[in-house]
Amino acid sequence: MNATSTLVRVSALGAVMAGFILAASPARADRIEKHFPVQNKPKITVRNSSGRIQVKAWTKNEVQVAWTNKSGKAVVETEAAGNRVEVATRANEDDVSADDSKTDFEITVPVESELSVRTDSGNVTVDSVHGDMTFDTVGANLQLSDVDGYMVVKTIDGSLVCNRCSGKLEANSISGNVQMISPTLDSVRVQTSSGNILFDGSFLSRGIYIMKNFSGTIEVHFSSSDSFDVNASSLKGDVINQATFKPDTHGSPHPASKWGHSLFGTMNEGHAKVELSSFSGTIKILKRD
Amino acid sequence: MNMQCEQFEQLLEQQDDGALPKPALAHLETCEACRALSADFGAIHKMALELDNEGIAPPERVWISLRNQLEAERIIHGPQADPQSASHASLGWWSVFQRPAIAGAFLGLVLAAASTVSYMSNFSQTAVQSQLAFRQETSPVPAADSVFKEEVLTVGSDSIPGLQRQDIAVTASIQRNLQIVDNFIMICEKSVREQPDNQMAREYLYGAYQQKAELLATAMNRSMPGGLQ
Repeated sequence: MNATSTLVRVSALGAVMAGFILAASPARADRIEKHFPVQNKPKITVRNSSGRIQVKAWTKNEVQVAWTNKSGKAVVETEAAGNRVEVATRANEDDVSADDSKTDFEITVPVESELSVRTDSGNVTVDSVHGDMTFDTVGANLQLSDVDGYMVVKTIDGSLVCNRCSGKLEANSISGNVQMISPTLDSVRVQTSSGNILFDGSFLSRGIYIMKNFSGTIEVHFSSSDSFDVNASSLKGDVINQATFKPDTHGSPHPASKWGHSLFGTMNEGHAKVELSSFSGTIKILKRD
Repeated sequence: MNMQCEQFEQLLEQQDDGALPKPALAHLETCEACRALSADFGAIHKMALELDNEGIAPPERVWISLRNQLEAERIIHGPQADPQSASHASLGWWSVFQRPAIAGAFLGLVLAAASTVSYMSNFSQTAVQSQLAFRQETSPVPAADSVFKEEVLTVGSDSIPGLQRQDIAVTASIQRNLQIVDNFIMICEKSVREQPDNQMAREYLYGAYQQKAELLATAMNRSMPGGLQ
């Protein structure tokens, strides 16, 4: 056997082996993309079990939905009727594992859009969308940036980070943390059991800010120009305060509670209302800079 | 014609009171799952009567909240034909919690417990707890709450045709958070026991019960076939 024939045989064997390997590999994850023309303020609904969901805004009157499912065992069904676009993932065979059903989405929507997102795990990010939004997750973390609207978040242990959010926020979690960084929110109702809550922004005039947890830390940052009434109570934990409050002259008097630690007072004219409540966590009212 | 499990469940849901018809009784003799179901219904019914007799009426907002939650979670809806009725029996107690009425009844139990505990000054042994404990001791069939924990919150190794396998991480998350909420309930109960006139502790206890009900609703909803649809 000469060197040439050996080389030919080795090459042929290699080609056959490569063929087997390719045949045994799952289908390559293809990115699928769909476009839906819409008019003003469409409503986009996304149902996914696991995987990343990114929502961005653009100036086109069109919703673009792109997704990737590495296993090829999940299919994405889309439905569009006028300004309603619905996207849902489902397994295309029995007994598909969570890993195999993992589907990542990149969704681009008009700036003025309504969103409804439901997912179990995987991160959700929304950038620069203006419109009402609802999010329902189990463990998925949620990051909202530069959004404006009425936002309702329900999660079990996912965290919420809200950067420069405007409008109204309702968030409920059991063990997730909630952070509001530089918000311009005029209504905040945030509740988490064991998670921490951070509000680092201004209390707007006429705004109502209710933050409640069971055992985590509630931290709010104020500036000396802020104007708000505060009612802070922790049954088993501490209330740490760096503000100088006047006695609250608005509404009914607040008798000192014989249980736990409480703080009532007014800063400047008390234009906003701030209620902070914890069972055993620490409440911190800290001066910003 | 012999009665099937699905027919029996529908009959049980519609049955206000009184004895079951003969075909249903005949079916009960041969079907262990339906016997267990019937026992749970009986216990819930009995407990509801006793709560009523004790004059403990949960505030209207509890029912509104419960109804809204169940509707939002699509647990309350009209009866649907079950295309998988043939495989129904093989799903065993798992399928019990996919019945809207039973899921609602179970959540009702939790919220009833919440209101009971919130409004009774002495709740070291609540009516709900004692009822459940009594039933667990005397009934040969598993109790609804234990079945829930064992079957709904357990990642089964059995594959159920047509269902996506449960996500282990999601199940673990729900279990972990259920433990957190149960722990809070325990702490709150202790506080209210020690300080019965502490309104804040009561509010937290009520909130923890409500949170547990919502968590169980989420767990059921996520476990249902097509739950993501």
